[in-house]
Amino acid sequence: MTRRSRRSVLALAAVGLAGCLGGSGPGRSGPYDEGASGTEATPDGMTASPDDAALEASQVPTADEQLPVEYSLETLREATVREVVPRDGIPSIDDPAFEPVDESVDRLPGDPVFGVVRNGEAKAYPQSVLVHHEIVNDEIGGEPVAVTYCPLTGTAMGFERGDVEFGVSGHLLNSNLVMYDRAEESYWPQMLATAMEGPLEAASLVEFPVRWTTWERWTEAYPDSVVLASDQDYVRDYGNDPYGAYNPPSGYYAEDTDWTFAPLTADDRYPPKRPFLCSRPDDGPLAVSLEALQEHGVYGIGGDGREDDYLATYDPTFDVGHLYRVDDATEYGYDADAGAVIDPDGERRDPADLPLESVYAYDAMWFAWAGFYPSTSVHAHD
Amino acid sequence: MTDRRARVTATVDACRFALARRDARAVVAVVGVGYLLAYLWVTDLLAIRPDAGTGWLLVDDPFARALERRGPISFEPVALLEFGYGTVLVSPIDVAIGAALAGLVGLNLALASLAVVRPAACGIDGSAGGAKKGAGAGLAAAVPALLSGSVCCAPAIALALGIQVSGALLATLPWLLPIGTALLVGSLGYLAGKIDVAPAATRESAARATGLEENR
Repeated sequence: MTRRSRRSVLALAAVGLAGCLGGSGPGRSGPYDEGASGTEATPDGMTASPDDAALEASQVPTADEQLPVEYSLETLREATVREVVPRDGIPSIDDPAFEPVDESVDRLPGDPVFGVVRNGEAKAYPQSVLVHHEIVNDEIGGEPVAVTYCPLTGTAMGFERGDVEFGVSGHLLNSNLVMYDRAEESYWPQMLATAMEGPLEAASLVEFPVRWTTWERWTEAYPDSVVLASDQDYVRDYGNDPYGAYNPPSGYYAEDTDWTFAPLTADDRYPPKRPFLCSRPDDGPLAVSLEALQEHGVYGIGGDGREDDYLATYDPTFDVGHLYRVDDATEYGYDADAGAVIDPDGERRDPADLPLESVYAYDAMWFAWAGFYPSTSVHAHD
Repeated sequence: MTDRRARVTATVDACRFALARRDARAVVAVVGVGYLLAYLWVTDLLAIRPDAGTGWLLVDDPFARALERRGPISFEPVALLEFGYGTVLVSPIDVAIGAALAGLVGLNLALASLAVVRPAACGIDGSAGGAKKGAGAGLAAAVPALLSGSVCCAPAIALALGIQVSGALLATLPWLLPIGTALLVGSLGYLAGKIDVAPAATRESAARATGLEENR
């Protein structure tokens, strides 16, 4: 995702707590179209829990705890737009072919790629390929995983999959990819990572982070890694993105453009497609403006009834954000020249590898995040 | 039943008549090729890209792959052709659908043009000023033909223009192709009644007879 380039010189940046730097709760006044064609869903909360027997028998690795979801299963099912395309009409890549990054051609430095590093193995997945397949059933570092991407919500996420493959169901929920597992056929909206129907309904997947970065940044950091090749089982024109372009953003991906499918809940405080670093910890969902994070280097989130403080950090190597749980977010700073986080002891540390509890977060378009998590707190300039 | 059979016969005759004329054949060819290219472009099978290379790629099992659905009215491509200025994804069934629609739209416009130059003034519409009416109706009939020809591409156009898509619209998608085809065939039948397919000699004698009647 092309974002504003970081400022060349930035002195130590003070950490702003929610409320100090524009953190705010839900609201919906703003200049963007709320989508006349959609009926908004009421966030009636998830009360269902997964069936123990189904979990026991499941071949799909599931999380110990259900992830936060703000709508009931019934509401989610009713809001699902079914059979936008036939099941597997967007074919997942099940036998992926890779090539060394230094042999890969026809890619511009700023083209977006999704990078994954697990158990010492690094792999890159070009957005230009995933936009046509959305799911890659792969193995990284000896572990079977699914690397997934939804172009309509701008979300790249990784899931453990055991011996099970995931496919594209053809349904959309809140514009988001609904995956199905090919073992038990439960249906999994990608951003929720929680099944909305099927034997494993209300169960959650085991997630891992996928870095949304650029080809140039990835190849500099991992020159010996491999990249998903353009020669796969299904033939597609990988130079032609049906939705638009990211380098620079245009078409559907342009920040100011409207959504195509009305969201569960419309919140037009920000441009619909603006990317935020999003997370859903137990004490409430949050969204940090990537633009603000780039500018400040670190961003503290606390108060507002939260049990914990959180620290979002900007990683200039990959132009991505990370999120940590901290005791006191105000004790951290940022050295822009070194691209390092300054910890409470004054030590410079890698923003991607702080000795803190890491909290799973992913980039998402604003409208999609606000649609799924209308109670989200927001941390941005404006 | 007899009327319907007569209408079918008249439509077939009108199409044969059109295809026997060089000017109408040119209309069918130009409109048909133009429509097919537009259809492939709108459905993302044809892309114009100056950075495209040259070469081709064929899938392993093209016959089985060609039958896999990837959309309400689209099927899997089996090959990718790069021709320097762009790319073509070869989806045999999609190309066949596009070609059939292109043929129908081309024929519709060819009959519409014939309704202008050879209106059925002495036949179906025999009243005074019938020639003018026939020509006007012929031109008017080209409009629904074009609209029904584009109905199949409506979803792709909606997405391309960023128009919001509802579940109700999506539910109609599988019906757009048969509806569009039926409308094109229907307008073809309508246009067939608006042109005179009689040989020139017969036409002249009929005109003289009509003139005699009027002079009496």
